[in-house]
Amino acid sequence: MEEYSREPCPWRIVDDCGGAFTMGLIGGGVFQSIKGFRNAPSGINRRLIGSLTAIKQRSPIIAGNFAVWGGMFSTIDCALIHIRKKEDPWNSIISGAATGGILAARNGLPAMAGSAFIGGMLLALIEGVGIMFTRLSAEQFQPQLPPLEDTSQFGVNQSSSNANNYNFQ
Amino acid sequence: MSILNETNDVYSPNFDGASSLPSGYKAFSSPYLNYDPGYIPTSQPEFIFLDGGSKQRGRFELAFGQIGGSCMLGAAVGGATGFFNGLKATTLAGETGKLRRTQMLNHIMKKGSATANTLGSIAVIYSAFGVFLSWARGADDDLNTIVAATATGCLYKSTAGLRKCGIGGAVGLGLSCLYALWNSRDKLSDLRSYNPA
Repeated sequence: MEEYSREPCPWRIVDDCGGAFTMGLIGGGVFQSIKGFRNAPSGINRRLIGSLTAIKQRSPIIAGNFAVWGGMFSTIDCALIHIRKKEDPWNSIISGAATGGILAARNGLPAMAGSAFIGGMLLALIEGVGIMFTRLSAEQFQPQLPPLEDTSQFGVNQSSSNANNYNFQ
Repeated sequence: MSILNETNDVYSPNFDGASSLPSGYKAFSSPYLNYDPGYIPTSQPEFIFLDGGSKQRGRFELAFGQIGGSCMLGAAVGGATGFFNGLKATTLAGETGKLRRTQMLNHIMKKGSATANTLGSIAVIYSAFGVFLSWARGADDDLNTIVAATATGCLYKSTAGLRKCGIGGAVGLGLSCLYALWNSRDKLSDLRSYNPA
């Protein structure tokens, strides 16, 4: 848990797929439990049963959709890394847009364009926030200039004009 | 305090062990190794791998890979099943052309996603149990696997009645025992060849 790092590329797809599935299952479980609780007939017992039924029926489907998204995203990301030979935020944004487009492929071209746009925007937002956090946290690690040393004590034959310059001889 | 002057320390210049090197050379007499280890600050860890650490990766690290793998396996198996089911159904119904293609896609997607979701959910529950057990017991061994698999089977079938719940638990127990046997086959073969006499 403390040494968690990302896998190298082909295996990253499986890893991301699993992560997205887990996220979808837990998130969908929470969401569906509330929804099932609200939509059930009155009576706390019936509400709890409705909640459980909703979790059982819907949250695996949500998890599956998440997993498809994550797996497709990671596949395209890895393909882009291989083609472009670099890893940068553009990879994520492009693969987000492509994933959105491909997964809406059965709904016609306008839906594809809309989904691609939403996917690209989402990933651009995530990447932007990530870059912003990196910048913010990097500020305290900026190297500070070492104080200039007085080198006049080392060189006796140095002229006073370059006393403040380093002399590595 | 210092172990510098002990004669059995290979890092020490006073090391007296027999050396195959020509005379004048001492084993490991590097100037970089030739200092008192007491100078190393002990406040920070000095080992690349911690002494108490497990030899393999932890369950949490493996969990997402396992979940994703079982999800993909389920999609592949379910997709293949759906393909054959769809082939049979469309042939029986006498559908051709575009209609048949759409029906085939529906069969594949439906069966594939259902199987993938089922297997993935089981993997998530199993991983959750496994991570929790290895965290609670502080050990990662076959007992965790067996208990986690049994609990997973029970929980997955828990809403279908007590009997189905027991069957699910039994299936989990059986599969995990098979896996544990396979996992420790080296130890078992050692046990068989062990001669007490």
